[in-house]
Amino acid sequence: MKKISVYLLMTIIAAIMLYPLLWLLGASFKSNSEIFSSVWFIPKSIDLRIWKNAWETVTPYTMGHYFLNTFIIIIPKTFFSVISSVLVAYGFSRFDFPLKRFFSALLVTGMLMPAIVKIMPLYLLWRNIGFLDTYIPLVFPSVLAEESMFVFILIRFFNSIPREFDEAARIDGCGTLATLFRVLLPCIKPAVVSIAVFTFLWTMNDFLNPLIFIQSVEKYPLSLSIRLSVDSTGQNYEQCKIIAVSVIGLIPSVAVFALAQKKFVSGITAGGLSG
Amino acid sequence: MKHRRYKNPVGVSKYTGLLLISPFITGFLIFTLYPFVCSFVIGMTDQHSMVVSKFVGFTNYRTILSSDDFRNAMGVTLKYAAILVPLKLAVSLFTAVLLNLEIRGIGFFRTSFYIPSILGANLSVAVMWQYLFTSNGLVNQFLELLGLSPVSWYGDPDAALYIIILLRLWEFGSTMIIFLAALRDIPRDIHDAAKVDGCGCIRSFFIITLPQIKGVIFVNLILQTISALQEFNAPYIITGGGPLKSTYTLGMLIYDEMFKYGETGYANAVSWILFAIIVSAVGLMYLITGRKERGKK
Amino acid sequence: MPILKKYDIIFIVSLYNRGDESVKKIYFLITAVFCTALLSACEKKKSETILNPDGKLDKCTLRFSWWGGDDRHKATLEAIELWNTIHPEIEIVPEYGGWDGWTEKVSSQISGGTEPDIMQINYDWLVTFSPDGNGFYDLNKLDSQLDFSSFDKEVLSFGKVNGKLNAVTVSVTGRGLFYNADVYRRIGAEFPRTWDELIALGDIFDRENLYPLDLDIQSGGTAWYLSIVYVQQTTGREFISMNGELGFTAEDIKSALDFYIEMENHGVIRNIQTRTDEDGNAALYQSPEFIGGNVAGVLEWGSSVGKYESVLLEGTLQAGPFLTSENGRSGGWMIKPSMLYAVSKHTKYPDEAAAFMDFMLNNKDCARILGTTRGIPASGFAEESLEQNGLLTGLSHECDSMLEKLDTVTISPYMELPRMKEFYNTAIEQVSYNLCDTKTAADEMHNSITKYLSRFKGENG
Repeated sequence: MKKISVYLLMTIIAAIMLYPLLWLLGASFKSNSEIFSSVWFIPKSIDLRIWKNAWETVTPYTMGHYFLNTFIIIIPKTFFSVISSVLVAYGFSRFDFPLKRFFSALLVTGMLMPAIVKIMPLYLLWRNIGFLDTYIPLVFPSVLAEESMFVFILIRFFNSIPREFDEAARIDGCGTLATLFRVLLPCIKPAVVSIAVFTFLWTMNDFLNPLIFIQSVEKYPLSLSIRLSVDSTGQNYEQCKIIAVSVIGLIPSVAVFALAQKKFVSGITAGGLSG
Repeated sequence: MKHRRYKNPVGVSKYTGLLLISPFITGFLIFTLYPFVCSFVIGMTDQHSMVVSKFVGFTNYRTILSSDDFRNAMGVTLKYAAILVPLKLAVSLFTAVLLNLEIRGIGFFRTSFYIPSILGANLSVAVMWQYLFTSNGLVNQFLELLGLSPVSWYGDPDAALYIIILLRLWEFGSTMIIFLAALRDIPRDIHDAAKVDGCGCIRSFFIITLPQIKGVIFVNLILQTISALQEFNAPYIITGGGPLKSTYTLGMLIYDEMFKYGETGYANAVSWILFAIIVSAVGLMYLITGRKERGKK
Repeated sequence: MPILKKYDIIFIVSLYNRGDESVKKIYFLITAVFCTALLSACEKKKSETILNPDGKLDKCTLRFSWWGGDDRHKATLEAIELWNTIHPEIEIVPEYGGWDGWTEKVSSQISGGTEPDIMQINYDWLVTFSPDGNGFYDLNKLDSQLDFSSFDKEVLSFGKVNGKLNAVTVSVTGRGLFYNADVYRRIGAEFPRTWDELIALGDIFDRENLYPLDLDIQSGGTAWYLSIVYVQQTTGREFISMNGELGFTAEDIKSALDFYIEMENHGVIRNIQTRTDEDGNAALYQSPEFIGGNVAGVLEWGSSVGKYESVLLEGTLQAGPFLTSENGRSGGWMIKPSMLYAVSKHTKYPDEAAAFMDFMLNNKDCARILGTTRGIPASGFAEESLEQNGLLTGLSHECDSMLEKLDTVTISPYMELPRMKEFYNTAIEQVSYNLCDTKTAADEMHNSITKYLSRFKGENG
């Protein structure tokens, strides 16, 4: 009985959560008038040419090209972001050093400032070093643990691991880094997976940074190519095509999340705490 | 201070920690401090559009504090954060607990609960909300079914903020994930022990789960407060800040001043005020939780 | 930013002094990298020299940027291909995207001095990016490459700032009235010809719970637009002059607001609250009320009415007459360039850029490829080419030719500034929600506009 009610509740929530995605999928086959006048997601007719056109785009490149660009940005970014955030969080959580309080305060401060004011100074900075129209302005900040929020989250997770783990590792002859990678990292695997997923999803959605830093259409990531045909000032406005493009753009995010969510579970067996 | 001993494991220099956090320090200098100092300096000028700027000191700040638009935006932002943050924490903790149950098909539910957050500020979200909350929308039809009078969601300055709050509430995914990761860390045997002692689900949640994830609740509280106070995207796509500026947040004000009106100096000054507001909000939370913990000891 | 440099260096040095050898080395490295970055960021000044034309076409690569939708992208890319066959020595690198965020992109580029050589620009960018006429290349210097002979003198002057030709008008557009013909036929109403007929229509449509027209206070701001056309026609005064002087008195503004309220009261349009309730924040062509025919008219630029036409569930959109007063006065309707081309003042190849711009504006084959994807061309050569190829049809052309017969006023670029739109929309919203009377709102608006314009020009001029 209890189980049934839990299922019922979760199915209702899932329906509310999923409906927009279904609707989007259906809307990619609808005419403008049908999109804005019907909340029902099944289209009157299905014409796969819309998707084909959307995939081919009006640019000399197909969506495949833009996917590739996005992955060229996302893969190193996720990798560096995880490595740097883990190292920094480990430093904060496990070691004592001069000015530690000061740096912890800086860590929090970094999250508090509205990010929008960074855009112009950073644009000028990258222009002066000559890295405009490259992926470096998009990727390099992750090498330096730019996302303080990740560090902040990881610190909390590191703190929840008893110090005895480290001590045991040290006694076994592990150095500073070996302790981190052999002993502590497996314990916080769910948190590491979640920040990797966050980096992936956010980079996927990031529009403003690539817009400002990338000039050549050839180098556009997916998020820019999706909005390539959105022109509210123009004569035509083909909603279904824009939606088809954005559905294509959502596929990797949904897929990555669906795959990664299992890792949140695997934490329970791999995690040294509960094992 | 000079002879302070650093409590590190034997053989670990007091600089190891510094070395580990050095990426952060460098990153902070280049990607945070540098733009912030620039922004502070720009906030002291009257730079707008392509005009070469003059140094005007704190004039911008004086103008801002006496401006009706700013005061209104500040009120909206604070109200928004005060309503949204507790609700969102409650909802995401609740769903995280549900998702932590071991039942079949949990992977599907976990993914579907996160999907709205992936959609983010997608165009479809704006269209969906139009279906839900316009005067003939689903919500009003539902209210009528219950015999209640329909609400003027978009048009009434008192109601419009709630449709934005509902949007963000619906996108609880990332908060939920952090909770979920934390719930994973609670040893299962504690729960089992509680069950043996005859604790019900709800009681064991309050006496076991909550204390265990206290730290993560705090993390989420801080993160959500910060992002709520900086809110820009949701009102931008859903209401455009209206009606009568009732959903015009400080984030929107800064964005408009910066990119729409080209008032770079002014916008940067407003950012610093928003920064000050966020610092005080977060500082207050640290103080309150800190005192509680000290009180316990 | 010298303060910053000093601060950071002291900061880093203080860390450095505390370190042991290995840490010292690392910090030295970080310091070096950081300081180089900082120095290059702070000390490199962008060169402000404007190159003069040399009268010949060299081998070079030029960047050309525009915003738009699919058809514009496709046609423009094709036109560039054509250019490559004629001038293979001048390579054009296209940069394009949707309208969303495009202003942000261009404004960062312009403030960083990294803008493309040739740009499609929006009308109000002339005064925001080039308040004194020095923000873009002065095209008068390039007349050896640019042929203006087929342009109307007045149309050409749209791109002039402070006596300098900053940009060339690509196409001219004006707002016209378009109605859902089926709904009008069903009700038995004629398209209005005068303001009084428009007001009277409100009462007729009201009986069926329909609206003959829609006006908004979103980014388009048609509510205020129609109100000032009315006042401009009755008084003969211009709302804002080309050089940014407020021509209306507070009294005039009040009559415009009064006229707006009269339209609301007679049910010509929905009031703001009803409109917002029914449509949310969506544009009218995304509104079920318009799609389904409950709202049967729209005031829109001839150059972008297409999307309203294609969205109707049933019925067709037809252009209605431009409203006149009872005694036949027809002035006050406005036109503006829908977009312009400008050359960057930092370009290294002004002649080549001008030659490409001339191709985009005047070349007949190019015009055929581009069609009306940027509106109906202002260049006589291009228009002729379209005419010969039978490409001049449709609502947009109809609106255009009706406007040509009227005594139109040119919209001032100042009138289109986003802040000014904010003033108009605030006033309309205030009176529509009945928060203050039209007099108070008018006085306030008059006050803010005067202040803003004088500040804008005072500081820029």
